[in-house]
Amino acid sequence: MTETPLSFCFRTLSAGYGGHEVVKGVSASIDSGQVTALIGPNGSGKSTLLKTLGGFLPYRGRLALGGREIRRCSRRELGRLLGVVAQQTVMKAAFSVYDVIGFGRLPYQPLLARRPPADDRIIQAAAERLEIEPLLFCPVTELSGGERQRVLLAMVLAQNPPVFLLDEPTSAMDPRQAQHAFQLMRELAAGGKTVVVIAHDINAALSCADRYLALRGGELIAGGRADRIDESVLEALYDTPFVPYISAEGDKAWHPSSKKR
Amino acid sequence: MPPLPVGDLERWRSRLHSRRICLGAALGVLLFLTALWRITQGEWSISLSRVFELLSPFLPAVESETAEALVIRAVRLPRFFAAAGAGGLLAVSGAVLQGLLANPLAEPYTLGIASGAAFGGALGFFFSRLAVTPMAFAGALGSLVLVNLIARKSGGSGAYLVLAGIVVNAVLSAGVTFLKAVADDKLGAIVLWLMGSFSGASPEDAQMVWLGAAVTLIPAWLCGRQLDAVSLGEGQGEMLGIDERKLRRRLLCASSLGTAVTVSSFGIIGFVGLVAPHIMRALIGPSHRPLLVFSFLSGGLMLAFADGAAQRMGELPVGVLTALLGGPFFCWILVKRK
Repeated sequence: MTETPLSFCFRTLSAGYGGHEVVKGVSASIDSGQVTALIGPNGSGKSTLLKTLGGFLPYRGRLALGGREIRRCSRRELGRLLGVVAQQTVMKAAFSVYDVIGFGRLPYQPLLARRPPADDRIIQAAAERLEIEPLLFCPVTELSGGERQRVLLAMVLAQNPPVFLLDEPTSAMDPRQAQHAFQLMRELAAGGKTVVVIAHDINAALSCADRYLALRGGELIAGGRADRIDESVLEALYDTPFVPYISAEGDKAWHPSSKKR
Repeated sequence: MPPLPVGDLERWRSRLHSRRICLGAALGVLLFLTALWRITQGEWSISLSRVFELLSPFLPAVESETAEALVIRAVRLPRFFAAAGAGGLLAVSGAVLQGLLANPLAEPYTLGIASGAAFGGALGFFFSRLAVTPMAFAGALGSLVLVNLIARKSGGSGAYLVLAGIVVNAVLSAGVTFLKAVADDKLGAIVLWLMGSFSGASPEDAQMVWLGAAVTLIPAWLCGRQLDAVSLGEGQGEMLGIDERKLRRRLLCASSLGTAVTVSSFGIIGFVGLVAPHIMRALIGPSHRPLLVFSFLSGGLMLAFADGAAQRMGELPVGVLTALLGGPFFCWILVKRK
């Protein structure tokens, strides 16, 4: 299953809900083979931008994936191109973990065909990658939030699309599992995939990401290499000064300063 | 890393498979026994061997004109098939609505589809008897659209949908009462029609209901896998490349049509669409392809049985009996869900 890498390119992109515009005329590119982090305070339009990239919201402006305008793609086509993990992980039907991971194969299955045996191996490999094989036959309704997030990540892994759109995919995971998930994103990007991730933990997001896009009030106020972000961008984003802490190993972590501006 | 649980997968699958076979066999046997009960028993008891004789295709022409043969062929058999078909249809409609709307409380009755069909059908009487079924369908579809619209405008799906269903149900029930009040000479026909019962079911009624069941069941079964993903809720189907709006439009139309066929022939019968799919889901899991088939069988069994019980109680309208038993079940689901 090889596919050509796909990049996003959007120009003066605006989107929102009903008459309310949340993302206001943003322009940027998101390259394949990289992890791009969307950062910004609550209500800055990160999730709305991610939903727009996924083709879930009507938009104005230009939004192309691999040169094709998103609004011209059918939902089924997008199902093969985009693996989406939403912020909300409530699951209302008591399917087994195995079944839910298997849903990732839906975009490839003809209406009447049986599930090919190769899918079993893909599903098990995805479960193994996210360390959820012991839960494989449990109903998803009985899992914790972090476990459900791992199931959804395994599902998009089984889907194997060229683009991953992940909205806070680690918010309920413990630190080890979250680190594991970010490691997975890095590997996906190294394999040529396009990975866009929203994470509230800016340090985790920035240490995993190659590039960042900083949103505030629905507008793009900065963007660039994640390792070159500086305190002025973070202060402009969150209205509070940040200070960097550098460990003995050279890892950098940003913390809001306790000093008033 | 421990080895992959390949053996576990096989064991899990075969356990699920054998459970489905056992349940299917049990439902089949129960349906057959109910059929025998419904055909041999009544005001006039006919022995089992005599029933088989009378149903034989090689029955001499003289015998096929006897009162016994007529009772079985034109009265009891159509009545059993009509009740079983209608029960199956309502149960399938319930399973489809619950899956599509990711709401365990959805069914034709709670969502106001049935009362929409009743209102449309009652309105149809003012034009002609022939207008009743198409008007019932238009009413079913109209109330479904209305309920969805109210739910969406009030900010959410889930519980709002059932709330909107209650409101639409109340308004349309008042509408039906209003129509009855101004019906004059048509009042008798409307009341008789609304009460609903299988007592006068003709072979044509039974055929119509089975046709309605096929129209509801076949497209839903074909889209079973999509329905699985959609039933997780929160737009999960859309994220997996399923055009949820298109799927919803298609299947909601099909189940409204099916409901309209039942309501226009046999009146409002509530809660079968709620009880049957819930019990089946608890026994064989939420996967829709098997669930739809098992809901059909169990819904058919339930309503055929309820119809027999209603007949025993002096031709009680069967909808009264299903509501009396189904209401408490609805409460139990509410409590258990919490």
